[in-house]
Amino acid sequence: MFSGARNLRRTFIGIALLAVGLVAGAALAQEGHPLKGSWLGEWTGNQVLGDNILLILDWDGKAVTGMINPGTDNIRLTKASLDPNGWVVKIEADAKDKSGAAVHYVIEGHIENLELPNRQITGTWSSQKGRGKFAVARQ
Amino acid sequence: MNMRAAARIGALFAAALVARGAGAHHALAAKFDDTRPLSLAGIVTLVDWRNPHVHVFFNVTKPDKSVENWAVELESTVLLKKSGWSRTTLAPGDAIKVDGIAARDGTRQLWGSNVTETATNRRVLNVTDTAPRPPEVARPTPRWPDGTPQLGAPTSAGGYWAYPTSSVLMQAGAKVSMNGDGVLAKLADAPQVAPFQPWALGLYQHRQQRHLADDPSFLNCKPPGAVRQFQQPYGVQFVEDRKNKRMFVLIGSGNRNYRIIYLDGRARQGQVQGDDDNPLYYGRAVGHWEGDTLVVETSGFNEDFWFSNGGLPHTDKLSLVERFSRPNLDTLRYEVTIDDPGAYTKPWSSGWELKWVGGEELPVYFCQDNRS
Repeated sequence: MFSGARNLRRTFIGIALLAVGLVAGAALAQEGHPLKGSWLGEWTGNQVLGDNILLILDWDGKAVTGMINPGTDNIRLTKASLDPNGWVVKIEADAKDKSGAAVHYVIEGHIENLELPNRQITGTWSSQKGRGKFAVARQ
Repeated sequence: MNMRAAARIGALFAAALVARGAGAHHALAAKFDDTRPLSLAGIVTLVDWRNPHVHVFFNVTKPDKSVENWAVELESTVLLKKSGWSRTTLAPGDAIKVDGIAARDGTRQLWGSNVTETATNRRVLNVTDTAPRPPEVARPTPRWPDGTPQLGAPTSAGGYWAYPTSSVLMQAGAKVSMNGDGVLAKLADAPQVAPFQPWALGLYQHRQQRHLADDPSFLNCKPPGAVRQFQQPYGVQFVEDRKNKRMFVLIGSGNRNYRIIYLDGRARQGQVQGDDDNPLYYGRAVGHWEGDTLVVETSGFNEDFWFSNGGLPHTDKLSLVERFSRPNLDTLRYEVTIDDPGAYTKPWSSGWELKWVGGEELPVYFCQDNRS
């Protein structure tokens, strides 16, 4: 039962992400702060939240803010930064697993193809529950 | 098929191959390397007379007698026409010599600074367009009956503002060398250009290192919003709607875009009912007169364009205070204070002048023409 519900949930998220991707089509222009926008991709091997991730990032002039999987898992970022020296991205967020136990995520990567609207962030994610590759593209 | 027809098709095919990528409008420095001068002689095969840039294709015979088709890229039809040239100035079969600079990617293209007819030694298709010479004695500022300066044309003969004394943006007092497109002579000077936040400086340097090749004005025909409308080669025209207390700024280089400055005292919200949740390329502008100076406050910009030549970043927190004055008929003084706490550490200012081109309407120029 639990496994079935989880599969159903994963299917739902997958369809939602696919829909976002289809609607987004070509990435919207964004010539301001390079992190601002919606990012879609995978954090491979995430047993808690699944492989797919939708990341929303914003820039308020002083800090990067944002959210992971809005509307589904709805995880607010606790820290996010961009170092223009190498365009290094660091993101932290606190989530909970199915049992309600805290899961602290750390994402480290860098921006590739900075000049493109559909630039990417590639790197790794880690938590006390696992680690893996991280890759998202701006929509 | 006879030999002549076969040769013609071959030449056109070669021209098409050379032209691949030649159609896209671009910052000159992004495509051509001014450290690689190149001179070639050959026979014209095709004249592609259209905006954004005119191309002349010509066959060059190499020492081993083989023939290569080259493309020389020239200024827009607007600038060439203003310099006295037309689509019939050169024709297939004409012998020419071309001086210019080579393409960065090694393709058979050059940016032409000079094209000479070999037979007559006449320079053709070179740009001689310069700002109109102002009269010896400054002509007085045209004014409305109530004494307010006119920023537009004082007669029905028309007129517009062009030939900015600076086509680049940097903070007042900065001593930085850059070309007319805003490409820095030394990348190390970047921090002097404006009081950048670290990410904005990094992005500016990245754009500079790529010779502004990613400029959305050229790649995607994005409008020259904000400061950039006053840095354009084809100028701007003010149309004053005194009855309805608004002023239109027609943009000569942005696909016939326009901007509205409201002078009726409304809040900076665009539509009377407000539409400030919709960020725009030209933002929302309200203005008032302080003596002989029109002071315009604008905010509500989107982040989909470069707000200046040279690739300075901005965010949707950008707001401008622009001051327009016309000290005499032939001069428009433009002063701007840029406040963008999303990209810069403090407000900063700049300014330049534009020259009056009387008795003419804005040149017609559509960036989209390069997509045809």
